[in-house]
Amino acid sequence: MAKALTGLAAKAPGLIKGVVDYSTPKLNTFWHYARVELTPPTPADIPKITQGLNSLVKSARTGKWKEVPVKEAWLNTLITAEIAFWFFVGECIGKGTIVGYQV
Amino acid sequence: MAALAPVQVSPLIKFGRWSALLLGFMWGSHRYSTLKASETAWRVEEAERKIVKDAHKATEKTRLNREELLYLADQAGVKVPPNF
Repeated sequence: MAKALTGLAAKAPGLIKGVVDYSTPKLNTFWHYARVELTPPTPADIPKITQGLNSLVKSARTGKWKEVPVKEAWLNTLITAEIAFWFFVGECIGKGTIVGYQV
Repeated sequence: MAALAPVQVSPLIKFGRWSALLLGFMWGSHRYSTLKASETAWRVEEAERKIVKDAHKATEKTRLNREELLYLADQAGVKVPPNF
């Protein structure tokens, strides 16, 4: 046991360097995409958000939604479903477990 | 695969995703605290009821035990000592 620990302590700097060398490029690609795609909306985006909501409401009111192509409608359905799934992800984080409430 | 440019996600979609996440978090934690409160209240009541139930079960057990021994003594012809 002591020999294993000393062996690990001797190899640790090399192991850590290996982990860092492996993960840095991957973290960089992740950051490259996350900085654009995953960031929360800023207050500067509020006009665009209200614009988007208004266009949705207008399309519902005027009946324009019936003229959307099926492919686009399918994409919109998928996006709506994804937004709904994020609600359940938030619920799992809030309650602390994935399945059920551990009361 | 060549490096793809990051997609410019519409702010409406980003707003929807993050607000769904936050709402879900709030809902999950609120429901958890509600359920935990009612469950702890029920557990407290159940602990009180358990004391009464255990005492009742103990007396019932001794009574049935005594009656069984009396029956066996009667069947086996053994004389029952007084004050049993």
